[in-house]
Amino acid sequence: MTIGADLGIFVLSLAAGVIGALAGVGGGILVVPALTIVFGVDIRLAIGASIVSVIATSSGAAAAYVRDGMTDMRVGMFLELATTTGAVCGALLAAVVAPAALFILLGIVLLFSALQQVLRLGEELPPVADGSPLAARMRLVGTYPDARLGRDVPYAAQRVPLGFALMAGAGVVSGLLGIGSGALKVLAMDGAMRLPMKVSSATSNFMIGVTAAASAGIYLGRGDVDPTLTAPVALGVLAGATLGARILPRLSNQTVRLIFLPVLLAVGIETLLKGLGVGL
Amino acid sequence: MTAERFRLLVSGVLIVGVVAAATLIALGFAASLLVGWQGSLGGAPNELSDATDFALMGSNLAAWRPVGFAQLGLVVLLATPVARVAASVAAFTIEGDRLYAGITAIVLLVLLTSIFVLH
Repeated sequence: MTIGADLGIFVLSLAAGVIGALAGVGGGILVVPALTIVFGVDIRLAIGASIVSVIATSSGAAAAYVRDGMTDMRVGMFLELATTTGAVCGALLAAVVAPAALFILLGIVLLFSALQQVLRLGEELPPVADGSPLAARMRLVGTYPDARLGRDVPYAAQRVPLGFALMAGAGVVSGLLGIGSGALKVLAMDGAMRLPMKVSSATSNFMIGVTAAASAGIYLGRGDVDPTLTAPVALGVLAGATLGARILPRLSNQTVRLIFLPVLLAVGIETLLKGLGVGL
Repeated sequence: MTAERFRLLVSGVLIVGVVAAATLIALGFAASLLVGWQGSLGGAPNELSDATDFALMGSNLAAWRPVGFAQLGLVVLLATPVARVAASVAAFTIEGDRLYAGITAIVLLVLLTSIFVLH
């Protein structure tokens, strides 16, 4: 890589870090196509770089989100139980399941979820409701400081079993397909458990690093992580995620959803195309 | 342990991991501009080894090769989420929250299994 290309990759990764930190996803959706199409990087090395970018987004953003109380650590740890076990099952299943059909199925699910997101565009906070009895027992209730509204906003998780099942599904998908797990996590927390959008995004950010770390060793061992390519990616994403984590508390939940929606659409379309055999 | 100290502990682990990783990667990148990724700051002869081979990290570091710094930085970055889960086990235990200490310990176990056993 020339210094100009390195600079270009750094700037691109910075943008991916900001968007990832705000939308609760890893930014692989931006990094992989940009590296392969714009910079002519081999797809294998681009995916290796995107795994690094997911972990960098997660750790960089979560450092601030955890400190500021935006991440619900109990929700995160409880659901990580589902995602990590799901990811292990997915990795084991990968040998016996044909991925093409799964990519198509996941793509359709994501695009339908985008519709649901459109319907919620005007909603600032989910309707106030008591959490389910299970949520109370598991202490999946809390408050987050909303800098925009200028107060602490209380929330309580709804439909915990559904959220847990969706998270297990997200884990299987990421173990099997290595894509879309951040978007699915946000959907499970926002859509099923009805947590506020900013809490969903910050908690998803907190979780995606662990999901990615579980499979990062495979990529490292296979020689898919090239330090000379990944250095500007990691530095750019870390800077971007740190910046994004400073912006999120000031945004309204509606704006965060507006940022998440195109990301969700892009992940859905890319996943669908992958299933249909169109590589990006 | 207060909720605030709990949050500071977990976010502290993430900050240390991220800053250490970024520093090592940035050092490697800056040094690569001087002597090239495979060159040596210590005057060792250039060897065209495979940059993606992390088994060479030790010898790359011993020869002060920029690629070695970047490799170590990436390993630190990839290990940060694991360290965060381990810190959460400790934090929930100190807080006396046995339910979540247990849940987090299982997550750590599954995570370590998938890293060290599955491949």
